[in-house]
Amino acid sequence: MIEVKHLTKSFEQKNGEPLLAVNDLSFTADKGEIVVLLGVNGAGKTTTMRMLSTVLKPSNGTATVEGYDIIGEPQKVRANLGFLSGDTGLYNRLTTRELITFFGKLYDVDDETIKKRIQEMADFLDMNDFLDKKIDLLSTGMKQKVSIVRSIIHDPPVMIFDEPTAGLDILTARNIVSFIHKCKDDGKCVLFSTHIMREAEKIADRIIMIHEGKLLAEGTWEDFRMQTNLQDLDDIFVNFVNQTKEREQNYEFQENPDDL
Amino acid sequence: MNFKKILTIYRKELLDLFRDRRTVISSFVLPIVLYPLLMIVFSSLVSRQEAKLENQQQVAYLIDEIHNENSERIIRELKTTKNLQLVAADSISIPEKLLKENTIQAIITLRDSVGKSGYPTVLSKIYYNKADEKSSFADKKIFKQLQKIKDILVQERLQELKIDEELLKTIDIGEENVAPPEKMMGFALGKFLPYLLIILTIGGAGVIASDLVAGEKERGTLETILVSAARRNELVIGKYLTIITISLITVILNLFSMYLSFHYIMSQANIQFSDFRLPLANFALIFFLMIPLVTFFSAIFLSISTYSRNIKEAQSYQMPVLFGGIMLSMVSFLPAFELNFGFALIPVVNFSLLMRDIMLGDFQILYLAEVVVSMIILDIIAIFVSIKLFNNESVLFRTAEDKSLKFWGKNKKNVFSQQFVIMFFVFVLLILFYVGGSWQNINLMKGLVKTEILIILLPTIAVLKISKSDVKRVLRIHYTSPLNFLLVLLMALPVFVLAVLSMQVINLIYPIPESYIEAINKLVQSENIGIWKNILIVAVLPGICEEVMFRGYIINGFGKLGFWKAIIITAFLFGLLHLDPFRMIPVTFLGIWLGYLLLKTNSIFVPIFAHILNNSIAIASGKIIDKIPILNNFVSDGNFPFWTGIPAIVLLVIFLHIFNKINQSNEGVV
Ligand SMILES: Nc1ncnc2c1ncn2[C@@H]1O[C@H](COP(=O)(O)OP(=O)(O)OP(=O)(O)O)[C@@H](O)[C@H]1O
Ligand SMILES: [Mg+2]
Repeated sequence: MIEVKHLTKSFEQKNGEPLLAVNDLSFTADKGEIVVLLGVNGAGKTTTMRMLSTVLKPSNGTATVEGYDIIGEPQKVRANLGFLSGDTGLYNRLTTRELITFFGKLYDVDDETIKKRIQEMADFLDMNDFLDKKIDLLSTGMKQKVSIVRSIIHDPPVMIFDEPTAGLDILTARNIVSFIHKCKDDGKCVLFSTHIMREAEKIADRIIMIHEGKLLAEGTWEDFRMQTNLQDLDDIFVNFVNQTKEREQNYEFQENPDDL
Repeated sequence: MNFKKILTIYRKELLDLFRDRRTVISSFVLPIVLYPLLMIVFSSLVSRQEAKLENQQQVAYLIDEIHNENSERIIRELKTTKNLQLVAADSISIPEKLLKENTIQAIITLRDSVGKSGYPTVLSKIYYNKADEKSSFADKKIFKQLQKIKDILVQERLQELKIDEELLKTIDIGEENVAPPEKMMGFALGKFLPYLLIILTIGGAGVIASDLVAGEKERGTLETILVSAARRNELVIGKYLTIITISLITVILNLFSMYLSFHYIMSQANIQFSDFRLPLANFALIFFLMIPLVTFFSAIFLSISTYSRNIKEAQSYQMPVLFGGIMLSMVSFLPAFELNFGFALIPVVNFSLLMRDIMLGDFQILYLAEVVVSMIILDIIAIFVSIKLFNNESVLFRTAEDKSLKFWGKNKKNVFSQQFVIMFFVFVLLILFYVGGSWQNINLMKGLVKTEILIILLPTIAVLKISKSDVKRVLRIHYTSPLNFLLVLLMALPVFVLAVLSMQVINLIYPIPESYIEAINKLVQSENIGIWKNILIVAVLPGICEEVMFRGYIINGFGKLGFWKAIIITAFLFGLLHLDPFRMIPVTFLGIWLGYLLLKTNSIFVPIFAHILNNSIAIASGKIIDKIPILNNFVSDGNFPFWTGIPAIVLLVIFLHIFNKINQSNEGVV
């Protein structure tokens, strides 16, 4: 399970001013649940997920993964977490088996278990043909399968997917989606990010909409449809964006009433 | 840290690299193939060339001015020379032209002469063209032949007089080289082996290191490994060990391949190899010594690789290190440089000199220990820097920067960015080096004045004016309590004493050449221009101009880094600007002192005053010490006894305490 508490990340920009990529974001994701982080390009999805996977340090706030704090116990967090994104690279000069074994060892999984899992997953994802081929020679879809196995080799209770279907064809994308459902069925907590509304609708138990680093709305599509009286997903999203803008303007207006 | 994980990472990296064609070629194939190939090509070229010359006909013009029996005898004998065609000529002018044009290879003249005791002597001279290989060859051949003829003629003459030839052998002079063959070989190898090994190590480590982190960034695998359960320290150490391993393998292969190639060359040249045994035991010691050097460069390159966004960038950042290393390693070629306490502390130089001594077979254990210990300390520092960088997310995830060098940004804040300030500094440094130096060579004092005003002061003011900066605020032209000046005045003496003492300590480690001290003294106390003019040019002017540039402008570029970092970096640049390795350290200390005064008082007048004071004391001290007898008791040869440091420190601490009290409110204002 993931608990995000007032998570904030600011980057220094070229002109010296800070950019708030993630701004006071709070949400939770439970086990056996698929939570979708939905937002347009640059909304802060990747940054949030990078903080959760302890690759980046938060500027403010914190989060816990399976009860371990991402700042205090990054080691434990990473051991309990599987991370898969659309563009994480693999070591091209290794074979599939070597690569997965390598990551398994880093997660302190014993050799027997590694072997067993590779076999299980190879059967599930139909990858027996290329287990001993160099990754360099694989197609994009095959590589993504390797990435899946890599991310789950230590059987973590929490899975984070950062736009894992970006750039894949429907068949491969389906593979991933069914894998995500399998994770859920296994009782894992799943956090999934995308900017495609449709994808979010299909897969999500719950949706966290973020925009410019801030939380926009949280709930199921049914909740959103009721709140906005709109049907189309894109319309709903735009509606939320506009609402927040108005609220902010009002707020500014109250702060500086002389402006008008 | 978990050693099992480090090992896992290490193994994976090695596997990965061994499958990389680039690494395999540059680290393993190249050293194995290169030397034998070079040697074979070289030796075959040489022997072919010699064979060619031997089989070639050479043409020599012969000018016989004697025409007697004796000369004809000589000519007859000369004609038997192998592959030499003799052409008779009358005068030297035309043959000489032909010789210069390489049409013929030699001219031989035979002239008549009479020795002191009345015996006829033939004067023979060989003209040849040393710029032409064929001609040199012909010269040698003819010379040998003439010698032979001479010996025969001597023998005949002696026989005529019935004198035994043995009579002439009064002394039989023989030569024998007592240097053992190892030592000779060591002497030759010791000169270039350090150089070669250092280049090879640096080159090898560079290729691997750039692949290991920057390469991972480029291929997008870095994030994959960072989200795994491995700790960053484990990753760094695993990668570090990989670079070291491959570099050491490269070193061994290189040494081995070199050794065998030498072997080959010597057997080709029919030199008994056993006479020229390479000192193998020394090779082992050198290999052992290579370890600290390899680890040092590996750590540096790992840091560079971590900082770089891609392989290309890593390789371009490696360039200065590479060049620096190569330059430093060349000291082994210079006979005047001997390993001493100071040199043993400088990386690469220490190694280069030590290795030369080892190859010669006489090195001092003390220096060896010093080299190893100092290298290990540097290693530890370097690897800590690597780990620190690797833990720094803004380094690891450096985003693309604007690569174009915009000298004048639209934003006027740009002239206070680190990048711009450093560029400005380099610009001034270059102008100073190329232009200022030549001005000062023509006329020292005039050159100094021009340098300070035109190269240091004006460009600084120009930058501030063009960027429309608030000059008064930037330069901190602020009022400050007169008490500050009084305190600086009081502190000047202890500061000066400490500066001289620190100079003396540095002098112990890196002795300053006498010639250098003379040159400096000339600068500080030019007799002919009078003390006041001297103070004006060497103290007041630099005090103002240099303070405006460094404490006025440059320090602002580093303000973001915090109080001390800003002061120290500025001081370091200030030290660099003096373009003088011997003054680098004391000037940097002075810079730190001046920067401290500036930021504490927030007024440029204080460091200007202190700077002028410092230079004035330096000028005056040389003259005054001689004239006041009491001072002479303290100072011998311009050196202060070390105990003077104690009252100096006590006084400085007291005054600094008061100074800090007065200027408390300005703490940390940058
Ligand atoms: N290392 C960094 N340095 C500076 N700014 C960054 C860095 N990483 C991300 N940003 C900025 O933070 C903001 C959020 O980026 P992020 O990658 O989190 O968005 P995203 O929601 O994942 O977008 P996308 O759908 O395009 O992947 C962007 O404006 C981006 O430019
Ligand atoms: Mg993203």
